[in-house]
Amino acid sequence: MRKHLLALGAVLALSPCLMAQKIGVINSMSGPEAPIGEHITNGIKLAEEDLKKKGINLQLVWEDDTGKPQISMSAMEKLATRDNVVGVVGPYTSACSNAVAKLAEKYRVPLLIPAAAKEEITRQGLKYVFRMNAPADKYASSLIDAAAALGKPKSIAFIYENTDFGTSTTKTAKEYVAKKGMQVVADEPYPKGAADYRSTLAKVKSRNPDLVFMVSYVADAILLMRQSKEVGLQPQAFLGAGAGFTTPEFAKERAISENVISCTQWTGDVNWPGAKEFEARFKAKFGKEPTYHAACAYASMMIMAETARNAGGDRAKTQHGLKAGKWNGVMGEVQFADYDGFTNQNNHQMLVQQIIQGNYETVLPAKFATKKAIFPFPKWK
Amino acid sequence: MAVFLQSLISGVLIGGVYALIGIGLTLIFGVMRVINFAHGDIMMVGMYLTYLLFTLMGVDPFVSVLISFPLMFFFGGFLQKVFINRVLNAVAQNQILLTIGLGLIMSNTVMLIFTSDYKILTTSYSSSTIQVGGGVSISTPLLVSFLITAVITAALGWFLLKTDTGQAIRATAQDRDAAQLMGINVSRMSVIAFGLGAALAGTAGALISPTYYIFPQVGGTFTLKAFVITVLGGMGSVVGATLGGILIGITESMSAVYISSGWKDVVVFVLFLLVLLFKPSGLMGKSRT
Repeated sequence: MRKHLLALGAVLALSPCLMAQKIGVINSMSGPEAPIGEHITNGIKLAEEDLKKKGINLQLVWEDDTGKPQISMSAMEKLATRDNVVGVVGPYTSACSNAVAKLAEKYRVPLLIPAAAKEEITRQGLKYVFRMNAPADKYASSLIDAAAALGKPKSIAFIYENTDFGTSTTKTAKEYVAKKGMQVVADEPYPKGAADYRSTLAKVKSRNPDLVFMVSYVADAILLMRQSKEVGLQPQAFLGAGAGFTTPEFAKERAISENVISCTQWTGDVNWPGAKEFEARFKAKFGKEPTYHAACAYASMMIMAETARNAGGDRAKTQHGLKAGKWNGVMGEVQFADYDGFTNQNNHQMLVQQIIQGNYETVLPAKFATKKAIFPFPKWK
Repeated sequence: MAVFLQSLISGVLIGGVYALIGIGLTLIFGVMRVINFAHGDIMMVGMYLTYLLFTLMGVDPFVSVLISFPLMFFFGGFLQKVFINRVLNAVAQNQILLTIGLGLIMSNTVMLIFTSDYKILTTSYSSSTIQVGGGVSISTPLLVSFLITAVITAALGWFLLKTDTGQAIRATAQDRDAAQLMGINVSRMSVIAFGLGAALAGTAGALISPTYYIFPQVGGTFTLKAFVITVLGGMGSVVGATLGGILIGITESMSAVYISSGWKDVVVFVLFLLVLLFKPSGLMGKSRT
């Protein structure tokens, strides 16, 4: 009998460790954002495996927001009130994240956003909302800093999609170049899906800019570069701010994508602890190269689960844990800090990459670089 | 000056492709008085056909016109015979609903098969150019597609003016009842006209695919463009559509340079409204009663 009681006591004492951590995931698993959503899902699945090895059992509650803010919000309500999760990782898009952030604050559920770019999300003083990735303003500043470090550019031309994404990124970029004393010689928003950018590019060419800064999605990125080659636009560097310039499809178009500089949150060859292994394991398991979204999601889930375990499954304690903690993993050093009007924002180091022989190579900042940048942009063949 | 020439040339070249889309639409309207709102989607089908031929069988996009032209002709003829024919005498709203519906079915079917991902055709000449001097360059694929467009337009002009079938089509367009009384098989002419219209749209899709990208919803933009071109040139006028296409191409490209790329659609539509205001029947149109 005593033996039994002892065993029971031992089980009771250990129970907080054995108890699975109930964590919610909101992600775009179907709908137009699904291709990226898939990377986030896979990143989280890898994290689940690794946490198990560390002795942390997860009970994940998956919610698909289909890329729509209203569905994202009802998912959050459900997770907070019915499923009683300790914390939530997600959602993917800026629109969904921004909608869900306010609900997280209302229900006091720690929310860790892995990869949404809109600055405003962590600028509202929300205590329960944390963000892993660097916000949109970093895209522009890291690219322009890189160009300034490589040469002495004096003028810059902007070509961008006239959508929320294009105009907001360009707006922060313009403010930044003004501070750096560069002159904006062309400012060309274009409607998405136009067949012919040649005239716009010819106009840009006539202004002879040192830098050409573009914001576009995949298909337009390829068209713009093709037509830049056609009209012979020859700046010192082509800077592609995210999206279309950082995809394998773009890199595959060797004739026009070679030497284009872009920036990203994460690369597979960066020397952050575990990054290379993460890439290799991801490729072996899912048969695809991970995007930065996968790494962000992986790191977010690792941090959320460990913090929740240490807090014994208590939401307020988890929030304190996230706020006070410091980590070093596949995303480099992570700390949720308050700075420049941001709250609980990881001041993430953006990486600048260049397509060299068809591969994305990290070229800046120097301590993470694997290759030396090619600058200025070689003459078109 | 180089900028002006550059944008003029690329405007004319892209305008040629627009013209081809517009001619197809105007031909269908002329003969049947039906505005084909599925026109852009038919063009999209042509693009995917080119894409399939290129990726599966390695057929060059420009050569594939020889295959896609007859295929799209039969596709158009089939649409006319099975669907459009039934609403020829119906009120305009019903015709519009039918063609829009057909377009939706096409784009969603293609989306089911190919997903909504963007497809890009990369040929060896996709980004090659010819230097004309003075810093002006011409895109090789665009130039080739313009030349093919010119040949097709000329051949179509000859067909409509010189052959019996062509004359019968024009007679049907002029007065359907009178043509029927003269012994012309008007329902056959309708099938041929719709088939030709679809084939022209499909060809335009094939010609633009080496320099553009392909996705299931691409049709909408081009339906609108074709509509503007047709109305601008005069409904039912082939010459008008050719002029209209090139005019729109040049306007887009000039306004992108001298105003702003973001405003080029505004300029096009202002021009469109002005033509409607001062010459309601279009540039080459004759008013009908």
